[in-house]
Amino acid sequence: MKSSLDGMAPNWRQRLTLPRGMRDAINGVDFNRFRFWLQIFFFVLLVYGGFTGLNLGNNLPTFSCGYNQNGRPGVCYLLPLQHQLAMPTKALLGYASLTILSGLFIFFLWFIVLNKGWCGFVCPLGTVQDWITDLRVKMGARFTRYSQASFETLSWIKYVLLALMIVIPLGIGAGYFSHDLGAPYCMICPARLIIPTLALNFDQLVLDFSSPGKIVMTTLGAITTGLFLAGSFVKKRFWCFFCPMSAFHYLLSKPAFFRLIKDGDKCTRCGDCYTVCDLQIKEIADDVKNPQIMMDDCIVCLKCVAACPEQGALKATFAGRTVFESTEEGFIKRMEKGTRA
Amino acid sequence: MNGPFNSGKPVVPEPSPQSAGASPRARKPKEPLPFGKTKQAREAEKVLNHIVDDFDDNPKAMDYFYDLFRRVYCRGETIAPDGPLIGTTCIQAPEELIYAMGATPVRLCNGSYHYDQIGAEFMPSKSCSLVKATLGMLTSDDPVPRVGKLDLVVNPTTCDQKKKASAMMQDMGHAVFDLELPNVKESEASRVYWQRSVRSFAEEIRKVTGKKLTRKNLKAALARTQRAEKAFRVLDGFRKASPSIFLGKDAFLVVNAYFFDNLDNWCEAVERLNDELKIRYDNAVRAAQKKAPRIVFTGSPPIFPNLKLPLLIERAGGVVVSDETCSANRMLYDMTAVDEWLVNDMVDSLADKYLKPCTCPIFTKNDDRRRRLLELVKKFEADGIVYQAFAGCQVYEMEQRSVAKTLDENGIPMLYVETDYSPDDEGQLSTRIEAFLESIKTRKRMRQ
Repeated sequence: MKSSLDGMAPNWRQRLTLPRGMRDAINGVDFNRFRFWLQIFFFVLLVYGGFTGLNLGNNLPTFSCGYNQNGRPGVCYLLPLQHQLAMPTKALLGYASLTILSGLFIFFLWFIVLNKGWCGFVCPLGTVQDWITDLRVKMGARFTRYSQASFETLSWIKYVLLALMIVIPLGIGAGYFSHDLGAPYCMICPARLIIPTLALNFDQLVLDFSSPGKIVMTTLGAITTGLFLAGSFVKKRFWCFFCPMSAFHYLLSKPAFFRLIKDGDKCTRCGDCYTVCDLQIKEIADDVKNPQIMMDDCIVCLKCVAACPEQGALKATFAGRTVFESTEEGFIKRMEKGTRA
Repeated sequence: MNGPFNSGKPVVPEPSPQSAGASPRARKPKEPLPFGKTKQAREAEKVLNHIVDDFDDNPKAMDYFYDLFRRVYCRGETIAPDGPLIGTTCIQAPEELIYAMGATPVRLCNGSYHYDQIGAEFMPSKSCSLVKATLGMLTSDDPVPRVGKLDLVVNPTTCDQKKKASAMMQDMGHAVFDLELPNVKESEASRVYWQRSVRSFAEEIRKVTGKKLTRKNLKAALARTQRAEKAFRVLDGFRKASPSIFLGKDAFLVVNAYFFDNLDNWCEAVERLNDELKIRYDNAVRAAQKKAPRIVFTGSPPIFPNLKLPLLIERAGGVVVSDETCSANRMLYDMTAVDEWLVNDMVDSLADKYLKPCTCPIFTKNDDRRRRLLELVKKFEADGIVYQAFAGCQVYEMEQRSVAKTLDENGIPMLYVETDYSPDDEGQLSTRIEAFLESIKTRKRMRQ
């Protein structure tokens, strides 16, 4: 079972004569279908899990939306984080810092297990975007791409949102802003409107006219949700590109267990991975120096691994062990299925 | 009105008063030679006999290819195309689009010394044999392989010589489409530019065949080339075996057949060959000596009948285990990945496949080519590299330095050979190759 794991040339003799082991089965899997079902599983868990009384805590590194009060099995960390940061500055420097640090720590523990795999496999808002994409494909419409220049500019938005998401609550605590701007990211997050709605809770589908701040924030929320629906119809994983959670993840991703690794020597730069990448990440094809190929926009959906025809050029590892890697056979099987369908 | 233009009236020869057979002394009109006696047929036959007869124990399944070349090159048989016939002058013309719209591609790159000489009139004296031979073939009345009447020639704008050949082909009366290929392949702008080029190519084919590109016919075409690529990859895998079970001269012949053979017949024949190689592998049948130096071939492409260099290597006891040339590996190795099986996405994915992994020296940078060579040496456990540059192929000549440097840094010996289609330098080359292989063997012994 060690054949091509340790950077040696894959042993051809073993590959041909070994009985098809479990590894071959995993690497040859119809990956898109596997992922589709796994996403459904997590979607049901994170949108409806709360109805069974499940509680995973308030520090989840994915959009298990807190506004979905009955359906959620736990809360997306961004909501409590913004609330905590909006505490009076004095409190923040005192006892509340412990609350924040312990919350961050639990968030971190959850996060390092799956790394940004939380985005590619677990996030219900991501899954919704994939379904909208499926719908578009069914209708035979093509997707759009950003030009390279737009990509590079727009790529900063998630960091700006992350910064605002921290600065505004701090400003509230310090008394600069009104409490009406509380949880500012949540107010503009499409998940706040979409996830509760999918759990048949329509409370968020309102424009709140109780104060100027609320009017602005709920209107912005309605606009972003409209953008989200239209955007993800024409652009794959439209929102992920702007998601501050994605930026937050990336900043913490160094010690994560789950990783996307590239062996540049084996890469022919054929661009197959780039062709299938929902987030248009060029480095996945072009960078042959850096083995840690998970870029900040990456959602670790592993579509690139499934679409790589070079033995072992791309792989997903967990704590250093390969769990899924690109193989010639697996690639051919998946693409044959595509041309047959 | 006796201007120079009027006086230059062509002289129409008077009809000969002698009717046929009237005088036995009259010069007989020159009868065309029977095909098998023509220069190009004899040239092909000589090489083919060498490939078949001078090596022991050729795989049985190779008979299909030996026979194919004999029929097409030596006897002048035509492979009937399905629908219009579209000639391509480089590997960058996406053949899936041609198949999808009901036409058949044929690769025009030619390897014949005879045509090289004929084509010499089109190009400066120090030009690439391949381009000259291709022009020579296209200008002949009786070309080999018998490609028949071409409905369109697709000329990807690769090297300067091929670019300039475009107008010449047009002057010969061919309809030529210049498929615009960028000179830089790394940038996103070039990718987008190329994808547009490929789309306009699809438009052009539609004008020829009158058929529309649909999701269904494109998918079917992708499935057909996918089968070929898969068969090629399996074959390629068998060449990793050490000691070798399959010789490079046969591998080149197999992929050269892909230029003009019926796609489905070709796939079947390669699959049969793969089955036989599997048995050979299981029974540890050897095609070369255990210690035969394993060579990766790179540079200007060997195209039948110009398999001079690979044949010299294998006659001298080496084995060509892999190659980085556009007449073999580069043509069939890379495979297309599609995310959404819609026409647009399939066309873009195809465009990517024809641009991004391409290691053609016409691009500005050659990092990919150098990395590829290192990887091939590792993957095929090769001992050295033979680098062929056709005299006049400037881009390959210019890359020699950087490739040599990379290989040197990695301790891989390389033999750089500048040659052309002429058989004159065979003696000299064989001495150099023998010496190179000998030095590899010595190195290996020293290491043990």
